[in-house]
Amino acid sequence: MAEKAFLSLTDVSKAFAGVQALDRVSIEIRPGEVVGLVGENGAGKSTLIRILAGVYRPDNGALLLDGRPLTLHSPREANLNGIGIVFQEQSLLPNLTVAENIYLGQEKEFSRLGVVSWPALHAAARRQLEKVQLNIDPAARTARLSFAERQMVELAKALALEERTERHLVILLDEPTSVLEQREIDILFERVRALRTRASFVFVSHRLDEVLHISDRVYVMKDGKVVAEMPASETSVPQLHRLMVGRELHAEYYREARQRVPGETEVIRAERLTVDGSYRNVDFTLRQGEILGIAGVIGSGREALTRTLFGFLPHTSGTLTVSGRPVRSSSPDQAAALGIGYIPRERRVEGLVLSLPIVPNITLASLATVMKTGAIQTKQEREVAENWVKKLHVRTPSIDALCLNLSGGNQQKVVLSKWMNAQSKILIFDHPTRGLDVGAKEEVYDLMRTLSEQGIAIVLTADTLEETIGLSHSIIVMRDGQVTARFDAPPGNKPKQIDLIGHMV
Amino acid sequence: MHRPEISQSRLISLATWFENMPAPSTTLKKPNYGEQIRAFAPVLVLVGLVLVIGTLRPGFFNLESLIVTVADTAILFILGAGSTFVVMLGSIDLSIQAICSFASVIVALMLPTYGYGFLIVALAMGLVAGTVSGVFHVWLKIPSFIVTLATSGLLVSAALLLSHERAISIEESGRAYLTWVNGSLFGLGSLRLPNVICIAAIVGALGIWCQKYTPFGRYSIAIGAGEPATWASGVKVNRYKVLAFATSGALAALAGVLMAGRQGSGSPNLADQLLLPAIASVIVGGTAITGGAGGIGRTAVGALIITIVRVGMTFIGVNIFAQQIVFGLVLILAVALTIDRSKIVIVK
Repeated sequence: MAEKAFLSLTDVSKAFAGVQALDRVSIEIRPGEVVGLVGENGAGKSTLIRILAGVYRPDNGALLLDGRPLTLHSPREANLNGIGIVFQEQSLLPNLTVAENIYLGQEKEFSRLGVVSWPALHAAARRQLEKVQLNIDPAARTARLSFAERQMVELAKALALEERTERHLVILLDEPTSVLEQREIDILFERVRALRTRASFVFVSHRLDEVLHISDRVYVMKDGKVVAEMPASETSVPQLHRLMVGRELHAEYYREARQRVPGETEVIRAERLTVDGSYRNVDFTLRQGEILGIAGVIGSGREALTRTLFGFLPHTSGTLTVSGRPVRSSSPDQAAALGIGYIPRERRVEGLVLSLPIVPNITLASLATVMKTGAIQTKQEREVAENWVKKLHVRTPSIDALCLNLSGGNQQKVVLSKWMNAQSKILIFDHPTRGLDVGAKEEVYDLMRTLSEQGIAIVLTADTLEETIGLSHSIIVMRDGQVTARFDAPPGNKPKQIDLIGHMV
Repeated sequence: MHRPEISQSRLISLATWFENMPAPSTTLKKPNYGEQIRAFAPVLVLVGLVLVIGTLRPGFFNLESLIVTVADTAILFILGAGSTFVVMLGSIDLSIQAICSFASVIVALMLPTYGYGFLIVALAMGLVAGTVSGVFHVWLKIPSFIVTLATSGLLVSAALLLSHERAISIEESGRAYLTWVNGSLFGLGSLRLPNVICIAAIVGALGIWCQKYTPFGRYSIAIGAGEPATWASGVKVNRYKVLAFATSGALAALAGVLMAGRQGSGSPNLADQLLLPAIASVIVGGTAITGGAGGIGRTAVGALIITIVRVGMTFIGVNIFAQQIVFGLVLILAVALTIDRSKIVIVK
């Protein structure tokens, strides 16, 4: 295994508007090897993958291919140098056939005078499908394939690069297993192993056991840096985990000292709550001032559960009681009327009307509070906005600034102001610190503690387990659409991440 | 139930793809002069056109002739004002000219026999037609231009059948009911201010007030600028969309009543030539065709620009039938100049 690396990144850095996503990262990839890449959300895995795939260009450092520096301007250029990617969100076009997808953009090779020769295209596609041992008709519409089959088609598409380049291939697998069943994962891994004569693989996943299972070598990333590199045979899940997190739970960071015993009044009760195809028989209660964390990997149903609570995805059976009232088919306006507020993960799409100023965004969910005799009182409205901007320390030159021009942390404060002005009693925090820098994160944690002290109940779906554990009073763990465990998380006696992980995967 | 439209979900998936990309930095941008110029451009164009026409034809600056110009603009403005809310939402209403013509036919046929009640019937017809378009648009999720095109076809046929394909001149007994359109309540000496200008002014004032001080106005802009966020703030998005189409329909009918009054007749193709100029006045005024920015005040400026272009063309001697060519070009040019392409990913 001491073969020389043929593709390497040396001292690569990348920053986005002041946030250091990658900080002098070096990795190398050797022929025929599977390299595992692990790290928490925000550790820089995706940025690294996107640099390799030609989506982003590094600020500093070099990409070396066979010892020669390589600059990638586009994913297409990466392809021509033998680098292919299998996306986490699949990139196949569902309305095209399998063969059309595999050779998307390269129809010229199969056409004469602008007319595509279908037999030639299908024969070539069949050759690619054989490599991954997928026995399907290349003329089949992609939409009709199962998710796992589509994943294989993506892999076949990446392998088709062999015909376009002399180079040894590198295939980047970005969270390829997150939505696959165990049986399908086994098949994928078997193919990957068999294909090592043709290509090297970079495997990104948050399922540590899988990474150890398939990889030869593992890189551990944390806060934009590579913190460890070792042969997979010499490490273990707990060790990787310790390296990823890097520190034991930091009580101060999550303001644990401010965690109070929640009130008695129940504000949400879910009984056998089910959305067909997403999650089933979920029971939980939420009390005043309680922060309830929901833990689970992608596909566990926790995201869908969050969306149900704000009415985006009405439950199909079971009961949901909010403040003593049963909720039937719901929608966001009904949820808002029941005193629920939603801090979305897609802050810039669902959180704010970006091209409008701060003032109308703050009153968007509670226009009635600034109206008198059927008219908006603009003076009063401005005072209200001014008040929130001061209270939450939104850093902006004026309340007339467009939300577009605020930083992520300040945008998040405007979203919070919106719901606080609507006097929401229950807040759904859907990945509230996503994309925020450390300082802004701490401000959000502070605000969440303040809200909790005021008796506002919070449902939290966090980016990291650390955050879930640190902030929550109680935690439910979900896997495959069901609740697998419940934990109390009082200050000073928080459950360990490893306890939760056991129930997540 | 409401779901964001397909193009929207496409945007969301793009957003997910780049979700790790942090937001723009805290350093605030310098005021964007380009944007400010863009905001005032319609007024500058209007002033420029007035000066050019005034120089070429000195008589234009005569108060009397200015009043005539404004009176000519009134109906165009009322049509445009209605569709302004629809355009601010990011939709379009292609049925206004059909509603307008149909209203004129109703007035011409019924008014002489049945009296003032039929003014109400004509307006109600517009309200219902707009509401129906709106309901089909949000409920069946059909793009607004298709729904309103269909509504338009339906009303054109209805008007043709009702009128037996002819222009109907309003009998003397009916004209009495329409004197308020042609009369003049205000004036100084021999200089009279036609009522239609007053009516347009009232419509404009009400529109601006709604836009500034009512949830309807606020949400129309918010929906146009960011529908997912507006929806996720608990706003009943569908209700306000329907309201916008209803407003558009009602004002189109009002325009029809006024036209019938001014011309003394109703006709199934009375307003055929008005759709293009009406939409052009909304866009030329500076309301974004993609929604989310603009207003009725801007439409007033846009309508004046269109009228003055028309006066100018007549003055230069452009064939009246060729004028639509110019309006088409003006529309394309206005959209091309005002559209902010940096915010648009895909145009269909």
